[in-house]
Amino acid sequence: MNGINQNTLRRLISIGMLAVLLVLFTILIGAGSGKFLSQENLIAIVRDASVPGIIGVGITYVIITSGIDLSTGSAIALVGMVMANIYAYTLLPIPIMILMGILTGLACGLVNGYIVARMEIPEFIGTLATMSVFRALTYVIAIRDVNGVIKSQPMNVSQYTFLGNTIDGTPSGLPYVCIALALFVIVGQIVLRHTRFGTYIYAVGANKKAATLSGINVERVRMMVYVITGFCVSIGAVFTTARLQSATTALGTDFEFSPIAAAVVGGVALSGGSGDVVGTLIGALFMAALENGVRKLDMNTAFQYIIKGVIIVLVVMFDATYKARMDRIAKEKGAKEGLE
Amino acid sequence: MAELNQTNLETILEAKGIYKSFSGVPVLQDVHFEVAKGEVHALMGENGAGKSTLIKIITGVYSKDQGQIYWEGKPVEINNYQDCQKLGVACIYQELSVIPPLTVAQNVFLGREPRNGKLIDFRKMNRMTQELIDKYEFPLKPTTIVDNLGIGQRQLIEILKGLSQDSKLLIMDEPTASLSGKEAEMLFKIIQTLRNQGVSIIYISHRLEEVYMLSDRLTILRDGKNAALLQKHEIIPAKVIETMIGKVVDESSGSRKMLQSREGEVRLDVKGLTDKSDRYRNISFQVHRGEILGLGGLIGAGRTEVVRAIYGVDKAQSGEVWLDGVKLNPSPRNSINAGIGFVPEDRRNQGFIPLLSTTRNVALTNYDIVKKNGSAVSDKDELEMSKRAIQAIDIRPSDPNKEVGVMSGGNQQKVVLGKWLMRDLKLLIVDEPTAGIDVGAKDEIYSILEDLASKGVAIIVVTSDLQELLRVSHRILVMRKGNIVKEFKNVEVTQSKVLAAGQGVEEVEEAG
Amino acid sequence: MKGFNISKYSKPFILVAFVLILTALRPTTFPTVGNIANVLWSVSVIGIMVCGTIFVFLVGGIDLSIATLCGFSAVVVVEVIHFFGDTTLGVLAGVIAAICVGAMAGCVHGFIITTFNIPAFLVTFASQSVFLGLSMVITNNKIVSCTAPAAFTAIGAMKVFGFPLPIYFMLVIAIASWYVLRKTEFGRYIYAVGGNATASEISGINVKKSTILCYVFSGITTAIGGIVLASMTQQAAAATGSGYTNDVITAGVIGGVSLLGGVGTVPGAIFGAVLMGLLNNGLNLMSVPSTHAGLVKGLVIIIAVGFDAMQHRDQSRKRAGFRLFKKKAA
Repeated sequence: MNGINQNTLRRLISIGMLAVLLVLFTILIGAGSGKFLSQENLIAIVRDASVPGIIGVGITYVIITSGIDLSTGSAIALVGMVMANIYAYTLLPIPIMILMGILTGLACGLVNGYIVARMEIPEFIGTLATMSVFRALTYVIAIRDVNGVIKSQPMNVSQYTFLGNTIDGTPSGLPYVCIALALFVIVGQIVLRHTRFGTYIYAVGANKKAATLSGINVERVRMMVYVITGFCVSIGAVFTTARLQSATTALGTDFEFSPIAAAVVGGVALSGGSGDVVGTLIGALFMAALENGVRKLDMNTAFQYIIKGVIIVLVVMFDATYKARMDRIAKEKGAKEGLE
Repeated sequence: MAELNQTNLETILEAKGIYKSFSGVPVLQDVHFEVAKGEVHALMGENGAGKSTLIKIITGVYSKDQGQIYWEGKPVEINNYQDCQKLGVACIYQELSVIPPLTVAQNVFLGREPRNGKLIDFRKMNRMTQELIDKYEFPLKPTTIVDNLGIGQRQLIEILKGLSQDSKLLIMDEPTASLSGKEAEMLFKIIQTLRNQGVSIIYISHRLEEVYMLSDRLTILRDGKNAALLQKHEIIPAKVIETMIGKVVDESSGSRKMLQSREGEVRLDVKGLTDKSDRYRNISFQVHRGEILGLGGLIGAGRTEVVRAIYGVDKAQSGEVWLDGVKLNPSPRNSINAGIGFVPEDRRNQGFIPLLSTTRNVALTNYDIVKKNGSAVSDKDELEMSKRAIQAIDIRPSDPNKEVGVMSGGNQQKVVLGKWLMRDLKLLIVDEPTAGIDVGAKDEIYSILEDLASKGVAIIVVTSDLQELLRVSHRILVMRKGNIVKEFKNVEVTQSKVLAAGQGVEEVEEAG
Repeated sequence: MKGFNISKYSKPFILVAFVLILTALRPTTFPTVGNIANVLWSVSVIGIMVCGTIFVFLVGGIDLSIATLCGFSAVVVVEVIHFFGDTTLGVLAGVIAAICVGAMAGCVHGFIITTFNIPAFLVTFASQSVFLGLSMVITNNKIVSCTAPAAFTAIGAMKVFGFPLPIYFMLVIAIASWYVLRKTEFGRYIYAVGGNATASEISGINVKKSTILCYVFSGITTAIGGIVLASMTQQAAAATGSGYTNDVITAGVIGGVSLLGGVGTVPGAIFGAVLMGLLNNGLNLMSVPSTHAGLVKGLVIIIAVGFDAMQHRDQSRKRAGFRLFKKKAA
């Protein structure tokens, strides 16, 4: 009697978008070694999707609570730079360095959470401000050479850089970051769909008043999702710096956009209360495939900025229209059906 | 439905000698109210009779000044909603508090999900929900996502939520207000099932037919006091209406009136107005020069929707609006240009701009008549206009630069009304013009309306306040369920008659 | 009542205090003719842009695409001038083209935001990426320099009565925007829409059209800012204007413009722009690298908006209490 569920339909649409994109690029670029459709290229796409996907788990939570976090890119740079400092100036072991990085990420999240949930500053403006604060802090603690010029700090000890590599060490192998992605997505999805906390995230995003009435601490949930995003960011930063084998001040300049784009394409509605982590994963794969294809087509890489921006707006426009329509249908159907 | 024998039934909730006043104004005086196990106890009364206040005291939203509440015979203190939940009282909010993206079961057990370690045990939760559904015969499935459900079914989820917490008493405040006919039927059936299972229900409604059909007993409040406690066989529409309004009041001058229609030329002619969402159908009526037409009926009867469509805030699906023999294409701008003024129902959200001054609010609709120097609005003329408005209707504070948001309700309404007085009006529509306004300001607003009418303006007054309806109207139309069901014209009318028409009650004995 | 409200009379004192502090800290470098010109240039670009974006803020919107739209219009003006062979006619065509681009961008923003009811920050956040991409594609990721004709370089560099020309642009635009907001019927509608869109609609205001126009104004001033910036630096690139989104929003916020809509004035916004110009210059003179300035600016935004949010919260609480009381008494 319900026909197809709204969420299922939205999932099919994002999978369809990804499939169309893959087919399109396969036709345009071709299959086979060095082409679009090949094992190593598909792995490369998943690898590119990994860091945005990992951060996307946190972003998904944030957006489901009807928030937004624009500061993730800057937070990545800050986490990276904190680790670089520890690497350069202390003799602390690598795991401690990573731990410090994670703590930095959590702190960034806590700051965002406090500004948004406690001070009640509009999400986009609060995180826009922390975006510039985190980036500036990165510059403040940046590693400099004897002349005081900022340099990129190499972090090339093998017990760290292996994280940026593949498991078997060959270029065609499975990168560690993909495993981390899988772990984050699975745990992220389970937490979201199968724990009380996950249910609260939806409740807060869909109806704050009702959530409060049901005894949910709305402020705490909102704060927590930013802290979780901070954690995801720090893990993303570890894998990024491990792969680049260095930390720079410009790290993550693209990552303000990618996780949000991934979530939006994957069906996480900005109005809050809908979408999930798997959707964001599909969105991240879509974005990575898009980037990859644009590169392989020898187009100016700048086209990807245009395409991404346009796609986001189109998807959001579609979602807004679709949502309004489905709500109306549900209402009319309810009115007609009554007892049946 | 067999009538309950009260003597055999144990009382589940009793409120004794409840007093409550707000800043010195008594709202409840020595109110007594009791609910027995497994009964549907209806609570009725005119707007302002104290129903909501009583319920809010029972649910712990307000604190009482005096009196005692007993739960299953024992005295209890209810200081907040959690307290009353613990006792086993659940309130079904008018404003629905379901979470649309979650399933029925998730909503029912929100915050109390059965768990296996840290993970929610969905199987158990769905089974528990299904058991509840089966027990009370709800037309729901535990795994349906609420997004796909209509308002009626969402309301059932709220009820289910209450039942899942072993609630013994459900409080339903105007539950059918936003339901379609079929949804309401579904709800009635559920209520009867619940009652048969021993759940007590406090049913608050303005709709007599529902109360008549559902309730075992009926408590009527009037002016913050107990007016009657009727057993099922005593619930006779005419009697209820009489009790709600009060015989004594009905004989006083304010509640009985000889209507004298003004048969001048037709100003407004509405022909066959029909709504897209079926909130009103085929509405046709006329308003004459200098006539004040009262539009009565229950809240939700479609009155507000009709006047919004005439003014053009919402578009009607079909039908025509003619003003002074010219067909209008309704939109706020067109209506203003044609000489229609509109004072909306929800003052704070629709009536004025809180951050702006009296001057700016008064001038907002009138920049076509404020003087201009080139493209610049003449500040001087704008201020003059605002001063004229302040003087014409005595807005206090009289400072034209005062932000309207910080004024009292009465003065805010005067600002909203005042802007229309600056124009050459042909028709003025006012929706609940005195809601939440003190008595003094009410009288002032009535005299403004009468004054306008005497100048030839046609006026439509939508109001739920019967006394007000009788006080200002030359002629009265009553709406019920989206139709105009009664016209009072050149006859003697009483509050009871208007209320009976709005309730769909055929005959009412003359009071007194 | 709302907005980061520095009392009307204290604003000049704050500016004077700022100037005195900077003079005291950097007595040899701050109060020099050359440096004052620097301050004025910086102020003028922010000032020009904030005079348009204030319209968007007033209707409760936001524009996160300021920086890249600014860059894009800089690229457009320079490329068009090159297309016309660096002639004066080319300058005219370039300026018109860039302004048209800005207006178009604003129109699209406004249309999407009002028609689909999508949050403004998201639409402008996505479009900033589009503008960045367009600039990069057109310039092929390179910096395009443009040192001729004189008509172009004069826009940013010429001095009239000792003051740089952009300051006059800013004044003209500020007066125009002050006039529209303070004097015209349309301006009054903007405040009404920002204060209560539903009540405005009922009062016969075309809310959608007014909102779109606000975004168009914002686009136009952003484009003019880009033109001036291109002329001042005699070059254009995708990165031209980066950082200006924050600067403009901060200028508005410390100038008393509420991001919740309905509150703010042009003189306030100009005050904010001057303060931002002084802040930029001061940080610069104290040898605080521009990369670190974001720390200060970010904190300024948080404090100013936090203050606004706090006031709003208190007020809505008071209001709720007030309404509760009314209901009880009824």
